[in-house]
Amino acid sequence: MSAVEQAGHLPDIFSEAVGRRVVEHRAWGETVAVALPDLSDAQASALCAHVRTRARETLRRMETARIVAAIDRASACLLDRAHPLRRKAEALLPVVTGYDRETVRLGLTSYLKTFRKPQLLRFLAEDFSNPGVLDGFQPAVKGGLVRARGPDLLLHVWAGNVPALPLWSLVAGLLVKAGTVGKLASAEPLTAGWFAHLIAEADPELGECLAITWWKGGAGGAEAAYLTAADCVMAYGGNDTLAALRAKLPVTTRFLPHGHRIGFAMVGREALDSRRAGPLAQLAAHDMVRYEQQGCYAPQMLFVERGGATAPDEFARHLAHALAALASRHPRRRLDQAESSAIAAWRSGHEMRALDGCASLLGDPADPWSVVLLDRPATLSPSGLNRSLAVVAVDDLAEVPALVAPHRAYLQTAGIAAAPARLVALADDLAAVGVTRISAIGRMTAPEAGWHHDGRFSLLDLVTVTEIEAGAEAAAEGFAPYAD
Amino acid sequence: MSQAEIVDALLAVIGRPGATDAEFEAVALRVFAYQFTHNAPYRRFAQQRGRTPLTVRRWRDIPAVPIKAFKDLTLSCCPPDAAERVFMTSGTTGSGHGRSYHPTLAVYDASMLSGFAARIMRGRERIRMGILFPDEAALPNSSLAHYLALAKDRFGTPDSAVFVGPGGLDLDALLAALSEAEASGEPTALLGATYAFVPVMDALAAQGRRFALPPGSFLFDTGGFKGQSREIEPDAFYDALSEAFGVPRESCLNMYGMTELSTQFYDDGNAVCPPVKSGPHWIRSRVVDPLTGADVPEGETGVLVHHDLAHFNSVSAILTEDAGVIVPGGFRLLGRVEGSASRGCSVAVAEFLAAAQG
Repeated sequence: MSAVEQAGHLPDIFSEAVGRRVVEHRAWGETVAVALPDLSDAQASALCAHVRTRARETLRRMETARIVAAIDRASACLLDRAHPLRRKAEALLPVVTGYDRETVRLGLTSYLKTFRKPQLLRFLAEDFSNPGVLDGFQPAVKGGLVRARGPDLLLHVWAGNVPALPLWSLVAGLLVKAGTVGKLASAEPLTAGWFAHLIAEADPELGECLAITWWKGGAGGAEAAYLTAADCVMAYGGNDTLAALRAKLPVTTRFLPHGHRIGFAMVGREALDSRRAGPLAQLAAHDMVRYEQQGCYAPQMLFVERGGATAPDEFARHLAHALAALASRHPRRRLDQAESSAIAAWRSGHEMRALDGCASLLGDPADPWSVVLLDRPATLSPSGLNRSLAVVAVDDLAEVPALVAPHRAYLQTAGIAAAPARLVALADDLAAVGVTRISAIGRMTAPEAGWHHDGRFSLLDLVTVTEIEAGAEAAAEGFAPYAD
Repeated sequence: MSQAEIVDALLAVIGRPGATDAEFEAVALRVFAYQFTHNAPYRRFAQQRGRTPLTVRRWRDIPAVPIKAFKDLTLSCCPPDAAERVFMTSGTTGSGHGRSYHPTLAVYDASMLSGFAARIMRGRERIRMGILFPDEAALPNSSLAHYLALAKDRFGTPDSAVFVGPGGLDLDALLAALSEAEASGEPTALLGATYAFVPVMDALAAQGRRFALPPGSFLFDTGGFKGQSREIEPDAFYDALSEAFGVPRESCLNMYGMTELSTQFYDDGNAVCPPVKSGPHWIRSRVVDPLTGADVPEGETGVLVHHDLAHFNSVSAILTEDAGVIVPGGFRLLGRVEGSASRGCSVAVAEFLAAAQG
């Protein structure tokens, strides 16, 4: 791969004269060079002004249905495996992100499926009982009229290498008609730009209200221009990054942070008969392997209840076996030193505990996966990532909410295998300690269309409503030409 | 083998001018057998890895204990309360203190003195020393306090002094001593924790003062900044040291040691950073893949494992958290190995711990 891939998407008037910063990504024995747009302060200000103006003048007047149609067409292109951009995505993303080709291919399809028209309409219906409020004033339940408007200029600051993840917030912004400027994540700087191109192709006017660019964080200059221009900033990253960002924003700017999260899974004894345990372990292994536990929804600990036909230690062995089997279809890329060290530190910590007999390590350090079995209840803690996980034996799944509660601020997804009544009872307790998403095991890394990321309303959080009170409406009647 | 026998054997090794590969290996295997027999947690650790004195034939196969284990486990061949001295880490990173038990300081002292004489004194008998670190009375569990006390007693002139007391750094006394040294023309050495030099340099800068210490003077720092002062990049640090004290960077020596060792590594000055570090013939280093513990190909970066025969009572092979690369004549130290943050949006250990510690 010798050509330099031009990342991002800029409205036509900016595409020529901007600087580029070329970054090389290597994995699987290949190299991909990506040129990120790098605008000067003045260009950044001009870009923000342009997007804001275009959004006010055109996007505001578009029916939501037209935006949905454009997003639907863009998704259709990327779902079409013969489309040149889809082919490019399948070729470049494994090298840029380090995920294996199958993971990238399956992941892209599963994400993009959630951005087709029916799913987009569901996304809207999830947050707005009457999505018409985005197009104009609608009768309010309490009386009067109400309409909702997205920010004139919404800034996205994306992070992380999970392919296509930025599309969630990008789509949310467009659905509420926000003029959009997105900052590419250095670790996955491609999909958002491609998607924006496809939207611009599907609807050039909408394309003018949308820019995908990049800037060096923490360096002042262009960053300050973007941050001061935005009405609302949706940001992803670690808490340090988010805190630094928040500190730079004017107090009147809405800030919607999505920090790092930790996921975990729970398996009840009813799911641990000899017929179900093996397949369930395979599903759990999939949740670990897909995106190598880099996504916020991935499990880093698995609580297994005692008393089933399959004991926790046997389940741990099933899991280890499933991970070993997946390693050939979804090979783990070569880890860098910091990643190896993270796993090594996690393993050696458990190795010390194993000396007291309350932990056992499965597999060899050189295996591309690591499973540790803890025989006593342990509070939730992160694994070494990249296919490492602790299986914790518990007497009753009801103990788990207390074991995860100390980390409330970091909780998000819990994968649960249990009978319906317990699922709801456990979910209630988990909700009380901060868990915001309960999924089936095997679906942890694939949130459904319209999900509430981190328990928030993705669209409602973005909009401001304007109400015409019933009284104003009634008073207006008095001034009508037909008034008695 | 008894403790007395192992001590005698090690003192003999330290007393010799060098060691061949075969000689080092032979002693390493004996020390491993001793530690395997008398240090129960280490024995379980080694057994878990399938490494016992019966299966291990090369020193490189002796299992290295992660440095964190010194916090969690009591790694001692003698009963812990029979130790003459316990050195503890300062505990600036993570929780708890790593402990090294010394039933006798005879081997530690012989190792330290021999290394210091060869690499710092280099044939000189004594030099006037200023110590920028609390003394042993103030920090009885600090291996560095003991180390510097040995240096001052054995290699310092009678007018050598410690400039860190109960009230902290005695800047006035230090500056007076430096002025005196400058005027006298007699070489002087300043030795201390890396971070201790920072406030001295700041004070000199604030006063617009600089010293030109007489030729033959040297500066000795160790341990890094540890959050005790602001962090300064190595090149900037040695430039500033050289500027403030009028000592060339070749004479700014850095010692790399740790509480979990009984032997220290040195460089031959910091004209270029990072310099090549090396130790005496009773300590050897490997660079490994942290996950598998296997040696990385020569010239590749990995994590340092040190094998210190002199650390006989505890564990001789330790897996550090320092990145390094083997080069001719020793290794280069490339900073701490940090576990990575996740590449995506999941919480990794470092962020989690930081939050847990508030």
